[in-house]
Amino acid sequence: MSATAAPRAGHGLFHKAGSLRAERRWALWSAYVSLVIAAIVMLAPPFYMLITALKTSAEIADLNGNPWIVRDPTLENFAAILGNEMFRGFFWNSILVTLLVVVVTMLISIPAAFALSRMRFWGSQWLATGVFLTYLVPDTLLFIPLYQIVGGLGLLNSIWGLVLVYPTLTVPFCTWIMIGYFASIPKELDEAALIDGAGWLQMLWRIFIPVALPGIIAATIFAFTVSWAAFVYPTAFITRPDEMPLTIGVVSQLIRGDTFAWGQLMAGALLAALPPVVVYAFLMDYYVAGLTAGATKG
Amino acid sequence: MADTSLPRRGVLAAGAGLVAGLHAPAVFGQATTTLRCAFWDHWVPTGNGALRQLCGQWGERNRVNVQLDFINTTGNQLQLTAAAQAQSRSGHDIISLSPWDVGTYADQLEPVDDVMNRLIAKYGPANQVAEYLAKHRGGWRAIPATSGTQNKPALCRFDLLQEHAGLDVRAMWPAENRKGPGADDWTWETFLRAAEACHRANVPFGLPMGQFTDAVDWVGALFASYGARVTDERGNPTIRNNQQLRQVMDYAVRLARFLPNDVWAWDDASNNRALISGRSALVFNPPSAWAVAKRDAPQVAEKCWTIPMPSGPQGRFLAYLPWNSGIWSFGRNKTAAKNLLEFLTERDSAEATTNTSNGYDIPPFATMSDFKVWETEGPPVGTLYNYPLKPHHDARPSIAFAPAPAELASQMYIQALNTKVIARVAQGGETIEQALGWLEREINNMRRG
Amino acid sequence: MASDATIAHAAPVIAPRATPPTTLQKMARRRSTIAFLLTLPLLAVIGGLVAWPAAYAIYLSTLNRRMTAFIGLENYAILLENDTFRMVIWQSCFFAITAVILKALIGFWLAHMLHHIPSKGQRVWRGMLLVPWVIPPALSTLGWWWMFEPSYSSINWLLAIFSVPPVPWLGEMWWARISVIIVNVWYGAPFFMIMYLAALKSVPDQLYEAADIDGATGWQRLRYVTLPMMRNIISITVLFSLIVTFANYDIVRVLTNGGPRDLTHVFASYAFQVGVLSGNIPRGAAVSLFMFPLLAVIAFFVLRGINERTKEIGA
Repeated sequence: MSATAAPRAGHGLFHKAGSLRAERRWALWSAYVSLVIAAIVMLAPPFYMLITALKTSAEIADLNGNPWIVRDPTLENFAAILGNEMFRGFFWNSILVTLLVVVVTMLISIPAAFALSRMRFWGSQWLATGVFLTYLVPDTLLFIPLYQIVGGLGLLNSIWGLVLVYPTLTVPFCTWIMIGYFASIPKELDEAALIDGAGWLQMLWRIFIPVALPGIIAATIFAFTVSWAAFVYPTAFITRPDEMPLTIGVVSQLIRGDTFAWGQLMAGALLAALPPVVVYAFLMDYYVAGLTAGATKG
Repeated sequence: MADTSLPRRGVLAAGAGLVAGLHAPAVFGQATTTLRCAFWDHWVPTGNGALRQLCGQWGERNRVNVQLDFINTTGNQLQLTAAAQAQSRSGHDIISLSPWDVGTYADQLEPVDDVMNRLIAKYGPANQVAEYLAKHRGGWRAIPATSGTQNKPALCRFDLLQEHAGLDVRAMWPAENRKGPGADDWTWETFLRAAEACHRANVPFGLPMGQFTDAVDWVGALFASYGARVTDERGNPTIRNNQQLRQVMDYAVRLARFLPNDVWAWDDASNNRALISGRSALVFNPPSAWAVAKRDAPQVAEKCWTIPMPSGPQGRFLAYLPWNSGIWSFGRNKTAAKNLLEFLTERDSAEATTNTSNGYDIPPFATMSDFKVWETEGPPVGTLYNYPLKPHHDARPSIAFAPAPAELASQMYIQALNTKVIARVAQGGETIEQALGWLEREINNMRRG
Repeated sequence: MASDATIAHAAPVIAPRATPPTTLQKMARRRSTIAFLLTLPLLAVIGGLVAWPAAYAIYLSTLNRRMTAFIGLENYAILLENDTFRMVIWQSCFFAITAVILKALIGFWLAHMLHHIPSKGQRVWRGMLLVPWVIPPALSTLGWWWMFEPSYSSINWLLAIFSVPPVPWLGEMWWARISVIIVNVWYGAPFFMIMYLAALKSVPDQLYEAADIDGATGWQRLRYVTLPMMRNIISITVLFSLIVTFANYDIVRVLTNGGPRDLTHVFASYAFQVGVLSGNIPRGAAVSLFMFPLLAVIAFFVLRGINERTKEIGA
């Protein structure tokens, strides 16, 4: 609240101080009302998932009473999920695939973005546009031909197949973010570096990567989210439970055609969502700061 | 199969100790072969157990390492797996195929006439629908499976039907090999009156009308019992001047008025939830709905009773959804695969499979409709008695869109043309003639290219 | 030290091609060679895992159902004659455009509101509002589905408190379409919010101060300061979201499976149904290829706009 008071005091110096203050108070109120409503809507589904996860099957099936509260909370759904060795396997697979994909994505995106934004060469303009256009080819169209490529390499039913194809989902956008970010770094910096006798790679390593670190973190978060949530490719390429990542594993193990174990399903979904939430909780500031800095300098 | 007589318990006990040593002696000169199977991941939680046990047992005996993958049909994962494997010509040796996929991949499936002929000689003719689906260009291309194969008779709340519609379904269809009083009047018209009564009593029949198999299957049986076919054997539309088709459409539209207003989007689980929640007096479903009710809402399960589907002008039909086990022709261990599938289809194996799934699985031979499990499961005991097709039902199995060629029927089935054409009238407000015109255009469109 | 390591990394790649070390260094310094090597992995990914499979899909779409004969553009012609497919085109556009507009407006509104409150509180609110984007959509859609479920709908339970009759969320055409859009907007709006918030923060305070001195109203500040400064990021975000929304698959698949009566199908889900599930891969490929030219045109114009502006700023 002290933070609110400060700007108000500052604006008291203005000519139309009274009406301005009223306007600002009104803006603040409408902001809080909007945010509260938005937060309720945004959090209702996960909240309801949590409530469902805490119920017994009998309570879920019981139609009497408020579905939004849990009368007889139980952790048996979470216990069943966590005690399931297969589920822990899904978790491990997801972590492994996601980490590898993030690393691969960064190794591809950063040098490429550097080259495309700083080292104008024949076709670089086209390529920069082309990178983004790859998103016009959705994964639902690519998975059949990709199945043959992956199958030909003997990587079906293996998380390595996923590590191979996920970059098609992450690399274009990450490269795009990084191009924008690198482009925002003042040209004077690299001119100075060139005069100092640094090579292009030294320049990338010594100047661009440190300066663009917030942007790299933003791209990393993006790659992480996308690979953690990928659904179409694992659905098509992985049929063995021991190689499944979390999303598809939870869905395939807990949904049984005509009889859903809703409690466990929701518990699994929430646990699957936990790592991205944790990553966001810690890195969100970098993310926003990275985007902000990139946009200002552009 | 010389060592069939070897007691199972003995094999298993020996296997535990010998498992490491077994590979080393290599009695047949080679290390054990590996047979990779993709089976349907069973909806009944214990359902995979039978296949695991049977395959383990067979593998021990034949020195084959049987590797089982249970693949779910959620998000059509199993169908996707088959499509991808057929295209890349690599994958499992044995794969469970959804009803029409045998026709789709007929050219890439190993003929299994030898196995089927032996089985038919032993157990009598196979279910007609199973034969129609698995036999292509004169030969069996897959073996009808027991695990996962289901009937979809009426699963009733006998208390609600008694109270609101005056039907004593347990008397009509007792847990015995005979019809009770009123069974002969169990027609679609009786059904309609009961549906209306239950609708008024706020426990409407939970009949899905969407695009999932439960919906397509029961509507297919309804069409069959009116003799309404949308195409002939060669796939030519038989829609113009087809009075039976108009008759069944008229009936379905009348019936739809008494269904919940969102049945048009129900999936395979919605009808189960309607039953389990106690909001519905009748669904067409295998006993999984009852089994879940037994766990989550026992007071509902105790009042469930399974009876055959109603009959129409052309007789009584039972919705039947079979799985088939195919052997890829590009696979490496085709002989072993055939032997395993033959073993799994034999009566003892089939009975073990059905027992493990609490009576859910239906074997492909009529002579196997007398397993004890259907008499003993409960409560109420006998609730599953009429789940398999019994001779006194005077019913035939049905699958929607028969007798169209598999290639076309498959598309009509997946796209649920039968429920959609009803929906266009009942929900979309078109006339029957307009909807049938759309149906004909749609079928012609599928046949091109 | 770090820079030496980088050179050492690059050297083995080039070493076999050149003999004397002086030439090597010269080559290493040659801009186009290095640039090419740096973009090579990117080219490999785009070429090998996107362009080539896409070209293969185009080839597939010219085959007959059994993939035994070339039939040219027949599949496209058949599709265009089909009532259902024409409806799918309409529904895809309706779904994508409505959802993207709503996401953009809600995202913009929320970003604005967030920007207004003291920066101390922003972090918590931002964190809460971003939750939908963090949960894998296939799983959160299941949660929504459970909320829409006819027998157990918790939304209808809430509506019943206000004596609203139960809504057939997924059973009737417009409700089903709205439900799909609701879930998509719920999932996607936070992404817009975070992008716009970033853009809002980048608008220099001096501009607003100048506007205040000129006596600008709130609307004028938005119209003449905020929006022009955010033009770039708005067009990029909208374009990106439009593409992803057009290609959306999981939400429609999980929530409605295209029903009732195919009325909620979008390109991807219909392509899946026709191509994979009904076993007509060529026609399925044709369906999904339909969205390509449409998006390519949009992308071309937006990107050209961005490039021009970037050049202006650069100069």
